[in-house]
Amino acid sequence: MSLIVLQDIVKQYQIGSTVSTVLKGIDLTVNQGELLAIVGASGSGKSTLMNIIGLLDKPDSGRYCIKDKDTSGLTSDALAHFRNRYIGFVFQQFNLLPRLNAMQNVALPLTYRGDSKSTIHQRVEEVLSRVGMLDYKEHRPTQLSGGQQQRIAIARALVTEPEVILADEPTGALDTKTGHDIMSLFKALHAEGRTIILVTHDEKIAKQCERRITFSDGSIIKDDASTKLGSSELLIGEA
Amino acid sequence: MIISHFQQAMVNISSSKLRSFLAVLGILVGSAAVVALLSCGQLATEKALAQFKAMGTDLISVSSYQKSSSSKGQEQNTISIQQWRQLPDLIPKIRQIAPYSTSYQPISYQGKKLSGAIIGADEVLADIIKIKLQEGHFVSFVESYEHYCVIGQQLAKELKAVSLDNVIGRQIRIGQSLYTIIGVAAEWAENSFFNEDVNRSIIVPIGGIRLINKDAKINNAIIKLNNDSDIEETVEKIKHYITQRAPDLNLFVRSAKQIISRMESQGQIFTILLAVIGGISLVVGGIGVMNVMLVSVTERKKEIGIRKAVGATNKEIQTLFLMESVILALFGGVFGVLIGLAFTWIVALFFQWSYTIYLLPPIAGFAVSVATGIFFGFYPARRAALLEPVVSLRSGI
Repeated sequence: MSLIVLQDIVKQYQIGSTVSTVLKGIDLTVNQGELLAIVGASGSGKSTLMNIIGLLDKPDSGRYCIKDKDTSGLTSDALAHFRNRYIGFVFQQFNLLPRLNAMQNVALPLTYRGDSKSTIHQRVEEVLSRVGMLDYKEHRPTQLSGGQQQRIAIARALVTEPEVILADEPTGALDTKTGHDIMSLFKALHAEGRTIILVTHDEKIAKQCERRITFSDGSIIKDDASTKLGSSELLIGEA
Repeated sequence: MIISHFQQAMVNISSSKLRSFLAVLGILVGSAAVVALLSCGQLATEKALAQFKAMGTDLISVSSYQKSSSSKGQEQNTISIQQWRQLPDLIPKIRQIAPYSTSYQPISYQGKKLSGAIIGADEVLADIIKIKLQEGHFVSFVESYEHYCVIGQQLAKELKAVSLDNVIGRQIRIGQSLYTIIGVAAEWAENSFFNEDVNRSIIVPIGGIRLINKDAKINNAIIKLNNDSDIEETVEKIKHYITQRAPDLNLFVRSAKQIISRMESQGQIFTILLAVIGGISLVVGGIGVMNVMLVSVTERKKEIGIRKAVGATNKEIQTLFLMESVILALFGGVFGVLIGLAFTWIVALFFQWSYTIYLLPPIAGFAVSVATGIFFGFYPARRAALLEPVVSLRSGI
């Protein structure tokens, strides 16, 4: 079942008088439960695509549907609501709020849902133990190592039970061993049936994913799923 | 949601203590200024009004002056004591009348020269302007031609310094005559409604004022009206009566009510002026809060981006920042009101005013400082709310 459907997505930036096209008509379908890696050199447009999928940015043209809902023309409040319901973000620099402890950081998305305190508390402890960080719940980000911070960040992404987890270079700021641990966690989450999209320029990380999309100069030049799942043209045709 | 916003705002405020403190200080000074200036203004007005209110508000003071060019007969420019005393019969609104005369003569006591005014009066004056006696009794109408007098408190002290014993029964020289002191007035609260300072005066029977000064004229009167009299109308009647009998007199009539209402409106203008001055310092404080909040928004761009990424709406971001500036203003407001009241208390102590806490200044000071927080916090909060999530997430901080 297709979860994310992108059709002819175009994104342009104007710098001075020159207009540069960052995304040149992207067509992409991501199915429920996929572990997808988007690879490409920096400046290839993969981060822009990630921002559009994450509803942090809007395409200039094209159609983007998530769970069969068209996102074009949504107000900023509706987009905030969609992000809260459907998407969990994991960033390269973890992006935890330094003034809040681990629990408060993980609870943040739920507070914007208006859940009750006890519900939030219970759910936060659940996900913290899922990522193996329950013992560190009172710690502040500065008291934690990079790998530990990233686990907290993953817990924050998981806490809302999102449809898709978007991870932008999640191992980019970590050493090889810790990066490996984090990848294991993602794979375990994938095994539980979660949809995960990773953006990376690390081939070793990408190879661990069942589907890889290679980006260059604003276009998808390779979709490895086509060899495994048949034809990507077919998937695009379906959407 | 509001509670969690409040908690988060408190976390943020306490994480940059010095800056928050300075912002609070700005508001604090402003609201303290509003409270102190308003309270002091009100106290000063009340103090000025108190002396009138003590005597009652149904008073009229009439003073007359001989026109200097007048060369006509005596009868054309004086009102006799009998004519004054007829007034209540002709104008029923008048309850009591106390004509009085003032003159200045050399005074001495056991050879020591003293200074003071001589007032010719009777018991009615004591009654209307509330002269209480410490000792003895007041000069009476019946004793018009006796050489009796009552002395003011301040003079009595000076006499005691000379003779070192009770002054009652002693004689004091006024001009060419000797007067026996039959009473000492208690401390009299000074009142600009009455022309002389009773504490520094010698009061003699009005009928006998010419024994002291043959040219003395009864030029003044204090009149007490019945309650709810039409003051304007009565003043006109009195003027008419006097002008008929003594057309060459210049009349000067004042009513306590008019003075009070004039003082009250002056007091209001004064208070508004002070409030404006206080308000200006509050605006400066507000700009301080705005500055702090703008810096805070810039510093926390990334946080705003993260919050938006996990689902915060523009409104929630706005509330978060607005809450911070309101909390800063609340702190400033509360402490400002307390300091303003304390300052007023010190001022009252210094000027020996009676200290009253008026409800309006603290409420106004507090409300205005919170309003300032909202007003000056709104723009930074709006700016934070409208940041694009992609842009703020990309920011380095």
